[in-house]
Order: sequence, then structure tokens, then C-alpha cells
Amino acid sequence: MGPNRPMSPPRASAAPSALPGSGYRACAIMAVPCAGMEAALAGPGELVCERGRNRKAVLCQRCGSRVLLPGAATFARRELFLPSMKKKTALVAGSDPDGDVLQEHWFVDDMFSFENIGFTKNVGNIKFLICADCEVGPIGWHCLDDKRSFYVALNRVSHE
Amino acid sequence: MDEDVLTTLKILIIGESGVGKSSLLLRFTDDTFDPELAATIGVDFKVKTISVDGNKAKLAIWDTAGQERFRTLTPSYYRGAQGVILVYDVTRRDTFIKLDNWLNELETYCTRNDIVKMLVGNKIDKENREVDRNEGLKFARKHSMLFIEASAKTCDGVQCAFEELVEKIIQTPGLWEIESQNRGVMLSNHKEGYGGGACGGYCSML
Repeated sequence: MGPNRPMSPPRASAAPSALPGSGYRACAIMAVPCAGMEAALAGPGELVCERGRNRKAVLCQRCGSRVLLPGAATFARRELFLPSMKKKTALVAGSDPDGDVLQEHWFVDDMFSFENIGFTKNVGNIKFLICADCEVGPIGWHCLDDKRSFYVALNRVSHE
Repeated sequence: MDEDVLTTLKILIIGESGVGKSSLLLRFTDDTFDPELAATIGVDFKVKTISVDGNKAKLAIWDTAGQERFRTLTPSYYRGAQGVILVYDVTRRDTFIKLDNWLNELETYCTRNDIVKMLVGNKIDKENREVDRNEGLKFARKHSMLFIEASAKTCDGVQCAFEELVEKIIQTPGLWEIESQNRGVMLSNHKEGYGGGACGGYCSML
């Protein structure tokens, strides 16, 4: 069983037409960026500007490493499962994952939009994002089936 | 937001197991940190932004993350790299001797002949040194590499190493300009560089 197991069912209502196929195992949860843009209106106002972008710089909670400059990312809502930051063994494929389904993310479509970010090796077809400077994480999520989406969970970073 | 980014570069870190390649990439370390993540799933690569002469460069830095133990580094790992950091441990002479093998592998697989190389003698904070600074310097000079001694533990020289390497790449005509068209090329899909020549044409650096 793949590491995507604990994810909740796809919110197909987001954009069914964008799904490569309903039986697509790879990304259990699909969403399209435009769905996130619409949701930006409902995003946390102190963090999201009127254009749906991050007002503040996004930093590592642990070491303060700069992950995203202000305005570099778009607010997006999407249900993504991220293994716990505390138990690093939660990342090992096949182990019982301990973690959270997170809804609010910063979205970018180019990995070079990040100031500093680390990518884990593949867990199934997912690469988790970690801090480049202290390797704490996962702070975000990237699916190899969509090379133009990278998500960083608001709950797993700090803002300055 | 990215207007001032000059270029994106692919940098490799190679060397024997245990010489501290991965920790060279950690700007922030503390003893309370459990490095289990790296040991379990492994870090594939990192994007880092570095400022050189007022220009920002984005680096995609690839670390072998233990694969070197099994000699499974593939040609795609090397493909398209503009810079390479060769690391040895100053307290283990065997890791210094193996540098020749790494240079051979680099010549075999890398796709351009003007890749910029930097030699890093690591762990200078430890007492039982087996390779002195002059030996490292001499080897680097012989192979036209930049040279630095470092300690990832104290972060001595590490930032400096990356900056010097990037500076050198930027000063090497033809090495990086075309790559700026390759933004977003993901996970080892870098295009072949110039005609697949071996890394024979060392330019003089030291």
C-alpha cells in the first residue's frame, strides 16, 4: 500500500475535468491552481493580499531559513496529507503514517520560485518539501505527476 | 519577484561516504536535531538562493545521499551540471586517495568540458588530521580546481565555498547563459550540454 493511503477521498468537485482519470492512484487528491485562486478570497487576510499572494516572507519555523519571498506564491486550498514533523520515521513508506491533513497552502508552479527548499526522495510519487537549511519537515508536498505544482502548508512555516 | 535572478545552476556534491557531503548543505545545525530524516528517506536535492556580486543565482544542489556506497550514480545525475563540489575528509586519507576515482567518473559522465570544480577538505574541526592543507591545495592545483578547507559542524567556509563556485561559473563564458532558458526543468531532465565531451579542458583557476 502506498504512502497516500491516509489521504481523504478526492474533492472531485474542485475540477473533475482536470483529473487524468478517476482511478488515478498517483495523486489521491487533485486540485487545480485556479480553484486555489478562487479560494484566496477566503484566505487568512493578514497573510494573503488582495491578489491572493503571500504578503509576508515564508520562513522555516525552526531555523528561520527563507523559503519564499513576499508575493512569490499564491494561496491555495487543497487537502494534502503531510506526515508529522515530529516523528521523522512517519515518512518511511509502509510505516503507519502519523500526520495531518492540511488545507491551506502556498502554491508555486516553478521550483525556482523558492528561495530555499529541499526535496526528499520519492515516497511513491510524492516528494515532500523540507527546509533546505535544517531539513525539518515535511513542510510541503509535490507530486511527480504534476511537475508544475508545489505546495507549502501555512501551518508548517512561519511568516514575517 | 524573480527579475533579479541571474541564472539557475545545477551543482553536484560528490565524494566518499561519510565525508560530510550532506552536512555541507546544512547552514543550521544543532546537537538536538535528529537527522533521522536524511537516514530514512533521504534528501534528493535542494534549491538554494545565493547572492554573488549583487546578483542572485538559484542553485539546484544534488547530493548523492549515500548512493555512492553502492556505486549507482547514474549518468543523469551528472548531466547538465555546471559545477561540482568534491569532498574529502581531512581525517581519512582513503577519502583523499579516492578523489582520483571521482574525477574519472566525472570525466566519463559529465556532458560539458568546462564544468567548474571545487575541492573541499572537510572536518577540519577534528583533531586527527591525516591530510594536510598543502596536499589538498596541490591536488586542487593539479586538476585546476578551486580549493577550500571547511568544517560543516561550525559552518566554516561552507557558504564561502558555494559563493566562490558560483562566482567562477558566472565568470566562465558559455557555461550558464543558455541554462537560464531551462528554468523549471525538473529532476534530472536537464538537456545535454555541449556535445558530450569529457571534462578534459581544465581552465586554470589557481
